[in-house]
Amino acid sequence: MTRLSDQAVARLRDVVAWPELPPERYEVRRLLGRGGMGAVYAAFDRRLGREVAVKVSNAPSAAGDLEARLRQESRVLARLEHPGIVPVHDAGELDDGRWYYVMKLVRGQTLGEHVPSLRGEAPVLSVFERAAETVAFAHAAGIVHRDLKPSNIMMGSFGEVLVLDWGVAKILGTPPPGEVPTDVAGPTPGDGTASGTRIGTPGFMAPEQQRGDASTAGPAADVYSLGALLYWMFTGRPAPPTADEATLGLAALPDAPSRRLRAIVRKCLAESPADRYPDAGALVQDLARYRAGLAVRAHRESPLERAGRIVDRYRAFILLILAYLLMRALFAWSQRL
Amino acid sequence: MRFPATRQSVLERVRSEDPGVRRDAFGDLAEGYWKPSYHYVRLQWRLTPEAAEDAVQAFFATAFEKHYIERYDPAKSRFRTFLRVCLDRYVQNLRKAAGAGKRGGDATVLSLDFPGAERELDAMAAADLSDADRFFRDETVRFLFARAVASLEASCAREGRDLVFRVFEHHDLKPTADTTYATVARDLGLTVSQVTNHLHAARREFRDLALQHLRAISGTEEEYLREARDLFGLDVSA
Repeated sequence: MTRLSDQAVARLRDVVAWPELPPERYEVRRLLGRGGMGAVYAAFDRRLGREVAVKVSNAPSAAGDLEARLRQESRVLARLEHPGIVPVHDAGELDDGRWYYVMKLVRGQTLGEHVPSLRGEAPVLSVFERAAETVAFAHAAGIVHRDLKPSNIMMGSFGEVLVLDWGVAKILGTPPPGEVPTDVAGPTPGDGTASGTRIGTPGFMAPEQQRGDASTAGPAADVYSLGALLYWMFTGRPAPPTADEATLGLAALPDAPSRRLRAIVRKCLAESPADRYPDAGALVQDLARYRAGLAVRAHRESPLERAGRIVDRYRAFILLILAYLLMRALFAWSQRL
Repeated sequence: MRFPATRQSVLERVRSEDPGVRRDAFGDLAEGYWKPSYHYVRLQWRLTPEAAEDAVQAFFATAFEKHYIERYDPAKSRFRTFLRVCLDRYVQNLRKAAGAGKRGGDATVLSLDFPGAERELDAMAAADLSDADRFFRDETVRFLFARAVASLEASCAREGRDLVFRVFEHHDLKPTADTTYATVARDLGLTVSQVTNHLHAARREFRDLALQHLRAISGTEEEYLREARDLFGLDVSA
């Protein structure tokens, strides 16, 4: 009996866990990646003649939390029809009891791979706003992501910005008939939302999530994560523990974002959820105001700042008037001669 | 599921009143663990090849005679860990006694390929021995897979399905960086569709065999379910 190499053992582990999808419909081609909840495979949909991605849960633990999360994720995704969210095509249960769902195969880069190519504030904000708009859409539909971080944002080949991994998302409010949202059902051991359970990623999760208050984390927790994401896009580092430190960190950059933009990040990273934007929609609106040169909710301006902003916003118009006045003055002066 | 759901656990069989059932259970255990045990005592305890061979043979024989395994408590540890700790103690005692234990009279003396196991040590020069439990687990899984591969090959040969095994071997066992369904199809003179069908069948059978071997070396049914989940990410409880 030949000794198997480490590589062969690793491959055979994958073979053992290889999902047996209905062969008349799907041909599973390769393993794309493996995470805590399960594995993602590239498969060929024979019926529709296209490549798809298939996410398969790991075997459930005694509490069945992984399977429940994957089921939850597929339902959340199915509910959220938005260009920034990967559409789900199919879902089901394998013969061995594992849950799977089939989705669009996204080709592109993660935000981590893409950000170094972004130069300056405008391109960074352009990408960030699209991710934030997707989260705003989810919030409007009563869904909180709870694990926003660079690896969960994907840049598609055609520039589309996709928010991935809704496995720990929470559905707010009353569930539709037949559905038992994780948190509305109340904390149960192992469902990942019980009191004291941490959900999220250090450096990107809100203080209330770090404390293990996952069941109380609402849209404002996502706002915190978005602020941390924006901070990371500018600095390449996770957010520091306090909003003050984050503001100082941004101000110290060679191409420091403007004071008003720093204030927006600061508001997102506030310790108390009540001091943040109530949801991603409010953040998106403030960013739109910022880009339009209007006053932002995150920052109370001094009269001088307001004048400076107005000058900045109407710079062309003001220059035109000044040029006109100068010409009039020159004309009047020439008439006197 | 395709697995024998009513099969007794190793622990139940080892504790059986029926000497035949008990001996078979020990046979399964020895078959599944002898090679990881041999590599373990060679590398961890630095025994000579002859001493390691004697120690492993004697360990399983003594465990059978002295009812070591029956003392296993699933609430305290995994069976694999329990077995490794027993082996550690056994080798420790052997050293103290400065002599090998006698092989048990009632136990089957196993015909095992120790020279083959010894040859494998060359490939293990860089093995990480800092975590004994991890080393023993990895070797157990490696041997379990090797046995499942051998079983698959034998089953395919017996049933005239050599091509199924060759597809599996080409694609999953010894692939190169360029291996695809198309290259396997070209190399074996098949269509891509035949390759995927054969591979599907081989993988399914391989998985069943690997799980059967895993069940045979797991202390209890609960541990088997847990091991299947932890090692392979599979739920086999259905």
